[in-house]
Amino acid sequence: MIIVEIVNGPIKFFRSDDNRQQDGAELIFNGRVRATEHGKNITALEYEQYEGMAETELTQLAEETVGKFPIHDLFCKHRIGKINVGETSLHVVIWSKHRKEGLEAMTWFITELKKRVPIWKWAIMEDGRKIPSECSHE
Amino acid sequence: MKIKIKCFSQVKYALGEDVLDMELDSGTTTSQLEKLIREKANGKLDGVSLRIALNQKYVPDEFELQEGDEVVFIPPVQGG
Repeated sequence: MIIVEIVNGPIKFFRSDDNRQQDGAELIFNGRVRATEHGKNITALEYEQYEGMAETELTQLAEETVGKFPIHDLFCKHRIGKINVGETSLHVVIWSKHRKEGLEAMTWFITELKKRVPIWKWAIMEDGRKIPSECSHE
Repeated sequence: MKIKIKCFSQVKYALGEDVLDMELDSGTTTSQLEKLIREKANGKLDGVSLRIALNQKYVPDEFELQEGDEVVFIPPVQGG
């Protein structure tokens, strides 16, 4: 099963699940906003999305991930809007029988997300200027 | 024909617009439109790779536009 949400506001984390009989691994990834962009201090990032397509692409990607790797469930929340330094922008939970396939699936999912889901970030500088982030990683 | 361009990230920054409504000749392709947009950006999009989304889906570079299309030139994405 997959759950995908794009939210505008603080992320409510998915609850840890003690009732799974077949999943030996519950992997949780939280992507957080760093205090610097290209060596310059920032106060926040502002994420923008291409509304509609971003959620469609993220959902397709989650479905592909569940199909490509032997994992049971993938839940994902991506936050948009202004996110202060230290706060979570991306929350992903994967449940799998063993850790290996879960870790591989998590890495692949996040790598692909950073290639194809139309979401961008603007850096809010200490002087209040807002500029497109030049930061993109695979 | 009329089309709509939605602008994000570096494209929005370069053009100073969220949305552009444009009147184009029939038969205009996505690559021709990209050339127009890059010219309009006056060098600010030089070196920025752009993928193209047409009506919310990625398309190849050369795709003939139709009346009412929604186009987004997608600079490198940065989710996560």
